[in-house]
Amino acid sequence: QDGLKLCLSEFRQQLPWLERLDVTLGQVVDPVSPSASSKDAVDPENDFQREMSFYRQAQAAVLDALPRLRKLQVPTRRPDDYFAEMAKSDQQMQKIRQKLKSKQEAMERSERAKQLRAMRKYGKKVQTEILQRRQKEKKNMLNAVKKYQKGLSDKLDFLDEEQTLSQGNKKGSASQRMKKGPNAKRRYKNQKFGFGGKKKGSKWNTKESFNDVSSFRPKVAHNKGPGKAGKGGKKALNKRPGKRARQKMKSRAR
Amino acid sequence: GKWKNKERVLIFSSRGINFRTRHLMQDLRTLMPHSKADTKMDRKDQLFVINEVCEMKNCNKCIFFEAKKKQDLYMWLSNTPQGPSAKFLVQNVHTLAELKMTGNCLRGSRPLLSFDPTFDKEPHYALLKELFIQIFGTPQYHPKSQPFVDHVFTFTVTDERIWFRNYQIIEEDASLVEIGPRFVLNLIKIFQGSFGGATLYENPHYQSPNMHRRLIRLSVAAKFREKQQVKEVQKIKQKGSKVLIEGDPTEVVFETPAEEKPVEIQLVKPESKPIVKDKKKPRKIQRKKQKKLFRTEA
Repeated sequence: QDGLKLCLSEFRQQLPWLERLDVTLGQVVDPVSPSASSKDAVDPENDFQREMSFYRQAQAAVLDALPRLRKLQVPTRRPDDYFAEMAKSDQQMQKIRQKLKSKQEAMERSERAKQLRAMRKYGKKVQTEILQRRQKEKKNMLNAVKKYQKGLSDKLDFLDEEQTLSQGNKKGSASQRMKKGPNAKRRYKNQKFGFGGKKKGSKWNTKESFNDVSSFRPKVAHNKGPGKAGKGGKKALNKRPGKRARQKMKSRAR
Repeated sequence: GKWKNKERVLIFSSRGINFRTRHLMQDLRTLMPHSKADTKMDRKDQLFVINEVCEMKNCNKCIFFEAKKKQDLYMWLSNTPQGPSAKFLVQNVHTLAELKMTGNCLRGSRPLLSFDPTFDKEPHYALLKELFIQIFGTPQYHPKSQPFVDHVFTFTVTDERIWFRNYQIIEEDASLVEIGPRFVLNLIKIFQGSFGGATLYENPHYQSPNMHRRLIRLSVAAKFREKQQVKEVQKIKQKGSKVLIEGDPTEVVFETPAEEKPVEIQLVKPESKPIVKDKKKPRKIQRKKQKKLFRTEA
């Protein structure tokens, strides 16, 4: 050990700093990084951490040395018109640039492909939605036109905007059921299959209609709810009008 | 200004180096304008011959690459007339030509040298630091040098080794890009004289590559031997589980030999047996009919 120190003292050259340009510093303390910036924590096996520690050390050295150099009036920035031979030839730099560009392009291509795939899925969904909406509108329009033709409604509102089917109260019947016109089931079927009769190929047992339990009323189903007017009302609820009455109702409601 | 600090470094190698080492040497020569090249040295010459070669070329520092077994690369850094020298094992060499190193610098520009604080803590590291500064630092006003300072060499001590990196300074706020070659130096010994002399320091953590390879081979062999031993033990266990039962002497007591029949030699063919029809089994055709009915019923 002493031999080392002796040797060092003999060997050491006393030169001004400008000749040597050496900086001995630790790393730049990075406020952002949560991990310990102390040297002891650097795991040499962890490549990224190691390289980052070297980088930070170099940064610290540069940040310390550049002001000193500037004070000593040594130029650090190369003027734009200063052309000199570089350590790596232009050919080499071209190769490097090509490689970087190809990498970037590959990444972009994959990104674009991913986006296209996502767009296609979304686009398909949107398209089907739009088509369905258009078909519905067309159907409603035709129904409204037919109603007008049949003389049920003399309003020409359907030309301007969408029209909702309004059931005219032709029958001022005491029975609540009569007031409503045809049965709810009947109304639903009219709406679905329209006035032109049963349309070919209309599915009515789809997944959505099967899963749709909104029209389930437990009290009605289990026959547990209170009747319309107690016992008597129960009977009235289930009373079905005669054939003639039913036909009249049918033609009126359309 | 006038070039006062007369440092000249001789960079050369022995025979038997591979392409990577050759490229590294060339890279160092381009990065250090105060360097001189020389032809390959023959292995049979002794190392102190290098001192004479340096004197002939008027150099006072030397970087000598030595390749052994076409695998291991050793580097000598020395101050030639009388100064200290150090021998390193070089690992993980990446040259300037690698496409991942995207930086560039002026050829011959003076480098900034950045050292780890560890270099000041130990005397051997302090000596090495001084050696690095004198060798790698380009003297000011050297005729081949450029006056700008645009790159920085970093020497870091990690994992008992010295890591070397070369970065280009892009912006004044110290954004850096890696340029240059990178290598790892594993210190072996420091000598008092140039390529000889008393050993000032020996690295206790150093393991020669031969030793390293030998250890790997031994560990593999040890594993194999262990497996074999386990197999042998298993074999013995299997064999050992069979208990040897002694012969029972009382076994023979009840043995009665059978009566000997006279040996009959048949000269005439025996009569053929009459074919007895099995009435219980229906005939073939009847059996088929039965099967059909069965099938139609079912």
